[in-house]
Amino acid sequence: MKKTGTLERWALHAFMVVVALAILTPVAMVVNTSFKTKKELYTANPLDLPQNWQLDNYTAAFQKLHMETTFVNTVLYTVVSVLILGFLSAASAWVIARNRGRFYKATYLYFITGLLVPFQALFLPIYIIGFQLHLTNTAYGIVLMYVATGLPFGVFLMTSFMTTVPLELEEAAKMDGCSVYRTFFQVVLPLLQPAVATLVILQAFGIWNDYLLASLYVSETRLKTLTVFLQQLFSSTARDYGTAMAAIVISTLPIVALFVSLQKYFIKGLAAGAVKG
Amino acid sequence: MHTPTGFGPRLQSLSLVLPGLVVFTVGLVIPMVIGLYYSFTSWDGFTPELPWVGLDNYLKMLGDENVRNAWGFTLAFTVLNTIVQNGLALLFAVILDSGIRAKKLFRTILFLPCLIAPLVAGYIWARMYMDLNFMLFGNGDTVLMGLLIVNNWQWVGYWMLIYLAGLQSIPPELYEAAQVDGAPRWTQFRRIGAPRWTQFRRIPLPMLAPSITIGVVGITVGSLRVYDLIVSATGGGPGRSSMSIIYQIYNTAFSGKQYGYGSAISVTLIALLMLIAVVQLRVLRRREVQQ
Repeated sequence: MKKTGTLERWALHAFMVVVALAILTPVAMVVNTSFKTKKELYTANPLDLPQNWQLDNYTAAFQKLHMETTFVNTVLYTVVSVLILGFLSAASAWVIARNRGRFYKATYLYFITGLLVPFQALFLPIYIIGFQLHLTNTAYGIVLMYVATGLPFGVFLMTSFMTTVPLELEEAAKMDGCSVYRTFFQVVLPLLQPAVATLVILQAFGIWNDYLLASLYVSETRLKTLTVFLQQLFSSTARDYGTAMAAIVISTLPIVALFVSLQKYFIKGLAAGAVKG
Repeated sequence: MHTPTGFGPRLQSLSLVLPGLVVFTVGLVIPMVIGLYYSFTSWDGFTPELPWVGLDNYLKMLGDENVRNAWGFTLAFTVLNTIVQNGLALLFAVILDSGIRAKKLFRTILFLPCLIAPLVAGYIWARMYMDLNFMLFGNGDTVLMGLLIVNNWQWVGYWMLIYLAGLQSIPPELYEAAQVDGAPRWTQFRRIGAPRWTQFRRIPLPMLAPSITIGVVGITVGSLRVYDLIVSATGGGPGRSSMSIIYQIYNTAFSGKQYGYGSAISVTLIALLMLIAVVQLRVLRRREVQQ
């Protein structure tokens, strides 16, 4: 009995090691290629390690990606969208959860219907309305769209979190004569911090990695994001793979760093969403 | 009690919910309505006139081979993805939950690919298939398989986390052998490789039903809207063999200058997504009644 158990354990661990290596292979190949010279890319075996680890591809990628513009834009759109989204979701969810009446219930259902249809299915009219309202090729236009498309999930997540926020503090604040605004900003918002953090992280990945909306909304170079530029880089410099792979590493590293530093909230958020269903 | 700002608490509450409502309405609800309207016109996207054509676009779609082809690819991708990805995610979740060593390390490695933009994932794999001389994207018969591998590589870890959360939310008492004795063997997951004292504990499959619903619906909806990955991996090719429905809408509207027709294709996709949501709600309701 004990023997088969041990054998099973060994087999499982071996299996998982193989799976992990298989998953890491593409990542390793990207990193490997990003350090190779052009000559090595054509003459050497793709699996060989670079002869000397030179950074030329990285300096080239920085220039070709227009990092000083695209990186700043991507960070800006992601941070601003996610902060507005966190704030609006928290404010809406708090009002919905703490007020009785048909209006608030209907408001909740109205937001939730947005969960049924992913924005990718609506990209065409989303583009058209943006064009007609002169929102395309503006930074606030794309931020507005990221906020709009993220709100249904935001309100859903925050409203379910509201049930865990104790009422007593708010009631005490009310007794003391605090306005609704002051109660929200000084009492409720600090208590909602973990939920806001979760939401912010979950949405940051989607916005950082988005290609469809960004490619539709911005066609001017000064407003483009990393993914949009990466797409251009790949279609225009099809033969310069070393630089392209370095560009991939550069554009992915920030989001991996964010994940590693905030992993705890991320996993909690996924779990909360999963259990509530 | 008087409020310092001068407006009553009701108005203050309303003013907190209003900005969200406006943004959501402008960004998502109005597009949905105008999209439906455009689908009954033959608008080209540029001229100010919107000629009303009734159901013409929908009738045209029935005989359009390109649309049928895009639906064919999208549905095949969706069905296979839903089966394979759920299966793998559940398998890895059960393994990681079985008291394996270095659980956190494995979890992080499996999850890592979903942090990469789908567009980027497509480029990485296209290049890797070339380097390894494993040309799945070069042939219409293997392109679907090639894309399924990339998509599973990216998302299995994400869904595994969902299943892991589901497994961990099951109260430990329910692992007791006695409680599940009555259930058929195949519906139980033994905690394989667990320390000896937990060797016989099994998890009944129905306890995972909420996670399975989320997994099935999430992967289905995620696969139906595949676009970024296809743009970079195959560009819809070879030929039109990996043209997804969103890609088809994009080409119809922007390259073909048929906004009205493109909108009609969108409406069919939205209708399908709504149908899935309604079915999901039904299933969840029925489960609530049973409990």
